[in-house]
Amino acid sequence: MADTVSSGSGTRSGGKHSTTPADNYYLARRRTLQVVVSSLLTEAGFESAEKAAVETLTEMLQSYVSEIGRSAKSYCEHTARTQPTLSDIVVTLVEMGFNVETLPAYAKRSQRMVITAPPVTNQPVTPKALTAGQNKPHPSHIPGHFPEFPDPHTYIKTPTYREPVSDYQILREKAASQRRDVERALTRFMAKTGETQSLFKDDVSTFPLIAARPFTIPYLTALLPSELEMQQMEETDSSEQDDQTDTENLPLHMSTDDSGAEKENASVLQQNASLSGSRNGEESLIDNPYLRPVKKPKIRRKK
Amino acid sequence: MRNLNYFSNAYAAAVSAVDPDAGNGELCIKVPSELWKHVDELKVLKVHINFSLDQPKGGLHFVVPNVEGSMAERGAHVFSCGYQNSTRFWFPCVDSYSELCTWKLEYTVDAAMVAVSNGDLVETIYTHDMRKKTFHYMLSIPTAASNISLAIGPFEILVDPYMHEVTHFCLPQLLPLLKHTTSYLHEVFEFYEEILTCRYPYSCFKTVFVDEAYVEVAAYASMSIFSTNLLHSAMIIDETPLTRRYLAQALAQQFFGCFISRMSWSDEWVLKGISGYIYGLWMKKTFGVNEYRHWIKKELDQIVLYELKTGGVLLHPIFGGGKEKDNPASHLHFSIKHPHTLSWEYYTMFQCKAHLVMRLIENRISMEFMLQVFNKLLSLASTASSQKFQSHMWSQMLVSTSGFLKSISNVSGKDIQPLIKQWVDQSGVVKFYGSFAFNRKRNVLELEIKQDYTSPGTQKYVGPLKVTVQELDGSFNHTLQIEENSLKHDIPCHSKSRRNKKKKIPLMNGEEVDMDLSAMDADSPLLWIRIDPDMSVLRKVEFEQADFMWQYQLRYERDVVAQEESILALEKFPTPASRLALTDILEQEQCFYRVRMLACFCLAKIANSMVSTWTGPPAMKSLFTRMFCCKSCPNIVKTNNFMNFQSYFLQKTMPVAMALLRDVHNLCPKEVLTFILDLIKYNDNRKNKFSDNYYRAELIDALANSVTPAVSVNNEVRTLDNLNPDVRLILEEITRFLNMEKLLPSYRHTITVSCLKAIRVLQKNGHVPSDPALFKTYAEYGHFVDIRIAALEAVVDYTKVDRSYEELQWLLNMVQNDPVPYIRHKILNMLTRNPPFTKNMESPLCNEALVDQLWKLMNSGTSHDWRLRCGAVDLYFTLFGLSRPSCLPLPELGLVLNLKEKKAVLNPIIIPESVANSQEPVNNPNNHGQLIGFQSTEDDHLVKETASNVSVHQQGVKRKADMPLGSPLEPGQIPEKNEDSKVKLKIRFSNSQEEEEIDMDTVHDSQAFIYHHLNMLERPSTPGKEQSSLELNMLPVAAAPLSVFSKESNSSKHSDHHHHHHHEHKKKKKKHKHKHKHKHKHDSKEKEKEPFTFSNSPASGRSIRSPSLSD
Repeated sequence: MADTVSSGSGTRSGGKHSTTPADNYYLARRRTLQVVVSSLLTEAGFESAEKAAVETLTEMLQSYVSEIGRSAKSYCEHTARTQPTLSDIVVTLVEMGFNVETLPAYAKRSQRMVITAPPVTNQPVTPKALTAGQNKPHPSHIPGHFPEFPDPHTYIKTPTYREPVSDYQILREKAASQRRDVERALTRFMAKTGETQSLFKDDVSTFPLIAARPFTIPYLTALLPSELEMQQMEETDSSEQDDQTDTENLPLHMSTDDSGAEKENASVLQQNASLSGSRNGEESLIDNPYLRPVKKPKIRRKK
Repeated sequence: MRNLNYFSNAYAAAVSAVDPDAGNGELCIKVPSELWKHVDELKVLKVHINFSLDQPKGGLHFVVPNVEGSMAERGAHVFSCGYQNSTRFWFPCVDSYSELCTWKLEYTVDAAMVAVSNGDLVETIYTHDMRKKTFHYMLSIPTAASNISLAIGPFEILVDPYMHEVTHFCLPQLLPLLKHTTSYLHEVFEFYEEILTCRYPYSCFKTVFVDEAYVEVAAYASMSIFSTNLLHSAMIIDETPLTRRYLAQALAQQFFGCFISRMSWSDEWVLKGISGYIYGLWMKKTFGVNEYRHWIKKELDQIVLYELKTGGVLLHPIFGGGKEKDNPASHLHFSIKHPHTLSWEYYTMFQCKAHLVMRLIENRISMEFMLQVFNKLLSLASTASSQKFQSHMWSQMLVSTSGFLKSISNVSGKDIQPLIKQWVDQSGVVKFYGSFAFNRKRNVLELEIKQDYTSPGTQKYVGPLKVTVQELDGSFNHTLQIEENSLKHDIPCHSKSRRNKKKKIPLMNGEEVDMDLSAMDADSPLLWIRIDPDMSVLRKVEFEQADFMWQYQLRYERDVVAQEESILALEKFPTPASRLALTDILEQEQCFYRVRMLACFCLAKIANSMVSTWTGPPAMKSLFTRMFCCKSCPNIVKTNNFMNFQSYFLQKTMPVAMALLRDVHNLCPKEVLTFILDLIKYNDNRKNKFSDNYYRAELIDALANSVTPAVSVNNEVRTLDNLNPDVRLILEEITRFLNMEKLLPSYRHTITVSCLKAIRVLQKNGHVPSDPALFKTYAEYGHFVDIRIAALEAVVDYTKVDRSYEELQWLLNMVQNDPVPYIRHKILNMLTRNPPFTKNMESPLCNEALVDQLWKLMNSGTSHDWRLRCGAVDLYFTLFGLSRPSCLPLPELGLVLNLKEKKAVLNPIIIPESVANSQEPVNNPNNHGQLIGFQSTEDDHLVKETASNVSVHQQGVKRKADMPLGSPLEPGQIPEKNEDSKVKLKIRFSNSQEEEEIDMDTVHDSQAFIYHHLNMLERPSTPGKEQSSLELNMLPVAAAPLSVFSKESNSSKHSDHHHHHHHEHKKKKKKHKHKHKHKHKHDSKEKEKEPFTFSNSPASGRSIRSPSLSD
């Protein structure tokens, strides 16, 4: 027993040269654990133990106790409390497979050794975050165990009041200049990052024109509405177009569906078309030669 | 000899020489002598023509986008195109509108492609390897080869939801647009069928929308090919009526033009007239009477302008045989004997005049009779078309001028001969000058109407003329008889000049209105006078009446034409009263929107004339503010809402007109510019159902209109530092707009187009250094066609202003090499309209090299496109005139004599007068390109077939469409297996660059030689040749022995499983089976021997190899 204690103190002294208050705090607690382990070993009838074995057991005990603490904390938080109660510990122990029934008996065993409480060392002080203002005290209806209010700067807002902008003219003005600024910034950016053309030979930056680039299929960009316009159309159309959808009859819808598929894979367009044809044919009895399926070639007999 | 007189004579002769209408052809088939006896026995000869078409330059247009993927994924497509009868460009045929036959067409294409062609799609069959499909078409209605067409591509298919026999095709991804665009078509169908009381003649109809279209709309039998740029979404306002008009035009031509074809070129006006006329009726019904009358007025103004400028458009040219002297169109620089020699502009005007004349006929015989005549023509034709085996009946499907007139007189019982003589058989329009005086004592209106019939393009009018006089007591029509020498006409007035203040004034339409009569002359009861209010004469009227009369006319006359006339007249009267009248019209919402738009521009002009006395804000500004700006903040425009189209158009137009305002310093007032800039700034389209791209484009146009010439000190170089601050603002906007277009392109890139135009305006006015580089990049292939045209227009303008030889060369180079035929045509057209110089003008550009270049272009560079060639001729005419270009070195007279005497090599600098004037058919090698351009090789032979005959001799005729005109003919392919065929016609001509190749001894000899050959084509003299002419010239000449000809295009299975080589370049293969047969009616034995002549069924078992276009 003395050995172990001495060895434990030896360890401490060995590392002493580089300790901080926090280290001291933890080492003190660990030392107590070591004492506990050693006394338990003595209690179990060991004369002596190797240092390494004690260390291992200490480690195990420490993890076990830590786990109990962690679980207990979880349980208590689970029930919206901040301080674990006895029942939390009990549940934890049960959960960890410990037979709680045996605990009182064990606690009352005769040969148990009493160990002095660990020396009280100062709780390591976590450097405080910059505090701004005073934390608000709990109002009377909040129990004291509830956590303190956070620093005021995290929740206090100082509204900066201005007259609400409701003037139509200013709104329009704002919207217009905002859009213009965005457009200008965007086009300038595009011009800066890409090729440009200029109207003035000596100056390329004042009126940068994004260089004209030919398209491979020019009519697509020219004819199809841009996404923005499509979106806009959907928004504005939803109300007015209701009456129109009634008049558009079924086959139109059919081909709408097909169009998506055809776009995806132009090479199977034909098959699609013929497929859609047969579908159309079934549903609305359109007989159009372009919708009929393509025939298989006839096998010719040689004469 | 580079003069145009000479060219057009020779060109006309060359076109004549191959004119299918006249029975001439470009492919001569020589009947081997072994077969003569069969001909004598009147047996049927079956001709089979195998050919392949390798990279054609004309006739078919391929569009192959340069992207990754298979042809279908790339959206590659091909379609037939051309001007008038141009089908022979892509397969051998009798390319005449008067040669009808039934057709069976087969196209084998890649499995991902669709082949759209004429007639009914009978079936679609995979080839054995399943990679390709064969489309089988059957057209049982007799149709001329010229109305045959084809379009192949990875089309998306839309069956019309209202008419299941109508199918629409468009390129991938455009289906939503197609759906919207064609959603209206069924109403057009209903309209035409109703007024014609006749069903649509074909069993199906197809519309195909293709890229790089030759023309916006081309009508063929049972299908029409449109430009894909006509497609639009529901958000687009401006394009919608235009596209619908094209659809309606195309459909009108289905009835008259495709189903009913023409007898000869001189009957073309009937078809164009009828189709244009019924299209006009559709316009009236769809867009209303105002729009219709406005359109008629516009067309009338156009034709009048053109005729006065060029000297006349003749609808029905009659060509006396041999009497070349009285050329009906000597005032023109081209011959009007053939469609293919016409200037495109002339042809457009021709169509315009045709429908106007048709309207005149309607005025004379009433619309009811008119429609009865059409119905009669159609029902005769449809009866004839169902006569499958009596092809002599088919001539009922052809319309001729005389037949049409006869129908009119039968149906209506009226004599319209004078009308026809005046407007159809004669060219020119009438020019009236009118003035009047009121004789108070007699209470008579003394009207003086003078005519100018001596200027070019005019003719004398004799006959009735309607005059409408609006008096205080009402509106009265008077019909004056215009006679030779009577200038003055006395018209009694109904009302005294007394004023009955309380009384309302009755108008023509029965309406009674209150008028403020204080402006009028106290002595006269006349409010206004109109001459020929119904436009029942093709005329231009210049009428003089007092400004207040014009103002009354503008305010109270309900006819839009009268309103427009008065607006134009008021330009000359810049007074506050005119201003008030115009402003009132502008504000009046019941007024036709086009009148209001016109009033905007007139108001701007008046304001400029009144600039020193003008009071109040700039014209239209307060009006615009009231109509379109917010009530609370008048400088901010309302957010866009284009639901009301009338006000939309007005909103678009007003800023453009306002920008034309000028202050005392002749600058655009700062206030106006700020106003327009504010419109741009505050433009907000977020809540709008429609796209505002046209509106924004017009705002840019307005900016451009506000630009005035820069004040230049000592010709300083234009730099940024000395940029006018206003211009800087304008440039900012243009830059932003143009750049935004790259990110968010507008429909048809209208904004880019406007920006380019505006930049050119800034350049031209000296604010920005003049430089074509920017435009040249936008003009490149790969930009949208509208952008290209706008950019090219700027380059053309630059060429003119800066006299740049380099740019002219660049343009001409593009004319020769651009892939898009429309662009090539358009460049020439724009150069003609805005020429870098004209004749009698000193210009450094006018030099010999240019003459040579254009001459070459006319002769040999444009063989594949009639329109292009005629465009080149137009340009040549504009630049150099009819006679020898002045920049050429003067010819030495001695040389001419030497030339004639010696057997020297022809030096074609000048042309002897005699040759130039006498209209001998093609007499110079220079101009033979046309003749041989399409017949580079002709090895043809007839094959006699007997019933037991199995082997059909065949041989390929290879046509090289890309062979330049005028280059020597290549000997044809050697026939493959038959010895009896002969290579017969080998004409060796050369163009001016290769004169040494002429193997003629003298000039005279060569002329004689050519003449001989031409004659030979026209009038074969030997028996052998006669056969060939029978085969080739299937036009029924009265004297020719064959009175009946039936042609069927039979297809038959291949006897040999010929594997078609896949053509990398086109990826599409077409097998065109086409066979003409001639049957002699009188030989009954033959009929028995040749059973298949009766049937439309494929002559199965016959081993006929079909020609393949791209083998």
